[in-house]
Amino acid sequence: MIVVLDYGMGNLRSVLNALQAVGAEARLGTGPADVAAAGALVLPGVGAFGEAMQRLAARGLVAALRDAVGAGGTPLLGICLGMQLLATTGTEHGEHEGLGLMAGRVVPFDFPPEHRALRVPHVGWNDVRFRKTDGLHAGMGEAQAFYFTHSYHLRPDDPADVAGVCDYGIDFVASVERGNVSGAQFHPEKSHQMGLRLIRNWLEGVARA
Amino acid sequence: MAVTYCTRCVYPSSSAAPLTFDEDGVCSGCRTARQVEGIDWEERWHAFEELIDSYRGDGAYDVVIPVSGGKDSYYQTHVAVKRLGLKPLLVTYHGNNYLPEGERNLQRMRDVFDVDHLIFRPSRDVLVKMNLLGFRVQGDMNWHNHCGIMTWPIQMAVRHRVPLILWGEHGWVDLGGMFSLNDFAEFTAKKRLEHDLRGYDWHDFTDEGLERMGRPELKMGLTAKDLQWAQYPGDEDIDEVGVRGIYLGFYEAWDGNRNARIAQEEYGWEPAEQPFERTYRRFSNLDDMHENGIHDYLKFIKFGYGRGSDHACKDIRLGVMTREEGIAMVRRYDHVKPRRDLERWLDYVGMSEAEFDAIADTFRDPRVWWIEDDQWVKQDIWGGCSAYGPVHLAEDDPRRAKYTRGA
Amino acid sequence: MLKHRLIPVLLLQNGQLVRSERFSIHQVIGNPIHEVERFNQWNVDELIYLDITRDGDYDLRRDDKKLRGLGTPMEILEAVSRTCFMPLTWGGRIRDIEQAREIFSRGADKIALNTRALRRPEFITEAARQFGSQAVIVSIDARRREDGRSEVVTEGGTAPTGLDPADWARQAEERGAGEILLQSIDRDGTARGYDLDLVAAVAGAVRIPVIACSGVGTYEHYAKGIAAGASAVAAANIWHFKELADRGGKRALARANVNVRM
Repeated sequence: MIVVLDYGMGNLRSVLNALQAVGAEARLGTGPADVAAAGALVLPGVGAFGEAMQRLAARGLVAALRDAVGAGGTPLLGICLGMQLLATTGTEHGEHEGLGLMAGRVVPFDFPPEHRALRVPHVGWNDVRFRKTDGLHAGMGEAQAFYFTHSYHLRPDDPADVAGVCDYGIDFVASVERGNVSGAQFHPEKSHQMGLRLIRNWLEGVARA
Repeated sequence: MAVTYCTRCVYPSSSAAPLTFDEDGVCSGCRTARQVEGIDWEERWHAFEELIDSYRGDGAYDVVIPVSGGKDSYYQTHVAVKRLGLKPLLVTYHGNNYLPEGERNLQRMRDVFDVDHLIFRPSRDVLVKMNLLGFRVQGDMNWHNHCGIMTWPIQMAVRHRVPLILWGEHGWVDLGGMFSLNDFAEFTAKKRLEHDLRGYDWHDFTDEGLERMGRPELKMGLTAKDLQWAQYPGDEDIDEVGVRGIYLGFYEAWDGNRNARIAQEEYGWEPAEQPFERTYRRFSNLDDMHENGIHDYLKFIKFGYGRGSDHACKDIRLGVMTREEGIAMVRRYDHVKPRRDLERWLDYVGMSEAEFDAIADTFRDPRVWWIEDDQWVKQDIWGGCSAYGPVHLAEDDPRRAKYTRGA
Repeated sequence: MLKHRLIPVLLLQNGQLVRSERFSIHQVIGNPIHEVERFNQWNVDELIYLDITRDGDYDLRRDDKKLRGLGTPMEILEAVSRTCFMPLTWGGRIRDIEQAREIFSRGADKIALNTRALRRPEFITEAARQFGSQAVIVSIDARRREDGRSEVVTEGGTAPTGLDPADWARQAEERGAGEILLQSIDRDGTARGYDLDLVAAVAGAVRIPVIACSGVGTYEHYAKGIAAGASAVAAANIWHFKELADRGGKRALARANVNVRM
């Protein structure tokens, strides 16, 4: 059973719909017991880093996630803000401690002078170039377009964690994979056939794990 | 919700083709028909020739023309062969319902136009089963015919790699004005499935499909193999060949009466020898006797109007009939229960008239019909309302509740 | 870099999908639920549904079809969102934040505001604060006056406001709108192409993306909208008239060297 974590940040229906569309058994979960019982976890989210961590903590989910997912445990896919929360530290409205499931910092877009005019948030379809062509991006060729909407991005400490990068004024990390922990800065559930393909790929990885 | 009528033709708001009405109460079909006058048809013909030129090629055929052998088929082929000098492949889905005159008209096309002609005839057993299923599931024994006509020609275009299909007029523009004559609408899988086939597709009529639909009692042993002719090509196949179905009616003002005249005078086409029971026109639907007969009677059962209304609307819009004359036709033909045709069909499929009546009554549209003194009653276009025969639903049938109207 | 988007606009009126011409003539194309999955499978970048119903009457039409009609716009939205795996915008008759919240909870990603935003521009700010600017589109309906100047018209094309579309777009951006959906009443349903001067004027006045709409009659019209400054190109009727209109549109854009997702 796939558990999609509901901690009051954003619309989870489309994530659930997408999982079900590719044939997964999925349900919403809200507390530590749901995390412990899950075969795999999806952590979605839209909003600010600090508030999201507070909400997770208030539900006992920070400790539960570290226990279940840490050290090669339950597979987890973070989507959008959910991917950023994997980091050690977030910097949106001050420094905040993240889940620490992937060493790295979440930082705002910092454009070189020639791209100062680019707008933030970065909203729309953009190409992701794959650094890893197994796992999440298996069978997708070298690059595909996905749907983004975000103002910050995750910078992992270990470059080996990067699965895909995207160019918006700078090259930023669009997807990550490290063992049982995966993340997509874009919204696979809103990225049409390629997004569903990514979810299917992730589920296949879960089934093999 | 009361049924209203177009103030220009005789269509009711309950029409099977979806109508909208403007502030003067004129329906979208009439509005589209009136566009004909403001169009520069010469310019359109040039655009049509240009479009056609881009499809002249080295392939075996320049164009697929789906034909029934009717007057419009003759006209389409006349345009393609005589005026455009194209090499067409004529294709026909033959649903086993031709009148003898219609059959002769169909067979004559190959000779008078000197063209290749593919005619596909499903097995009689499959057709009888599809007649029964069409009637029992959706009150339309002719569903297989709509499906064959809207599927088999496209299969042939893909198989013979002919990208262009030339249809006649866009039926949904003509009846209800679904599109404007400026839209140049083309054939789409969506139009086929939603409007021509009403959402049902071939897989609904196999045993598995009927099981899925919750009607296992109707199973007739049909399989995907039996219904190969009903399977629409996939998007990839259509895209690969570049198949595109265009309608002549957007490029040339359409006039069924003219088409009949040309077909008769130049090619020896024959109209029906005997009058139809449910309409005054003798040159429509010779390929399918039920289209003017029992299938059309079911339209009256469902929506409260019939072929008399359809033909009157066409003639009113063409300016050859007044609305009063049209109403007289509605009065004379719409309600007629066709004896000759009904008996022929019941014999074909092996059904009793009592069973027919009982099933037909389950398809009455509650916007149109209500029950009074155990009679079916509906509004009339000439004012007031009339009774149109006894109710065949059982006394305790809960569906009766849909048809009670407060005093 | 970001791609230009191709977007079908599906118009709903009294529970039916309709074709529209100059905002005044509407012809029924079919039942919106019937082919929702097919719309959702189109190779397009977003879907926009606009409910242009003027009164509350839902006629579900003939009932011998396989799928029945649905009673309310919210049921339609829910059915759409179940299989819609791309950004979905819902607009029309949105009167307050509570209604907007319901629309998001039923699966929409963005809302399109029009009449209510003109009557009470603070509504744009309130919605942007609640749901984020990226989720708030302001929809502008423009019509050419006799002197040739464009003017914003509201209430489904019935009430002229005297506002200049570029000025109103600028104000909407300042108040927090994330995108502008720009429709031309004169071009609607005419297949004559976009009102390119209008697109250029509005796109030149704001930094937020402008979605050009109204008038597309051939696939070649799309690229002209992009050249005039639109970030995304939308159309309504042509999606109902042509087979595989998604590929046709995308290929025409690519042929014109527009950066699109294929």
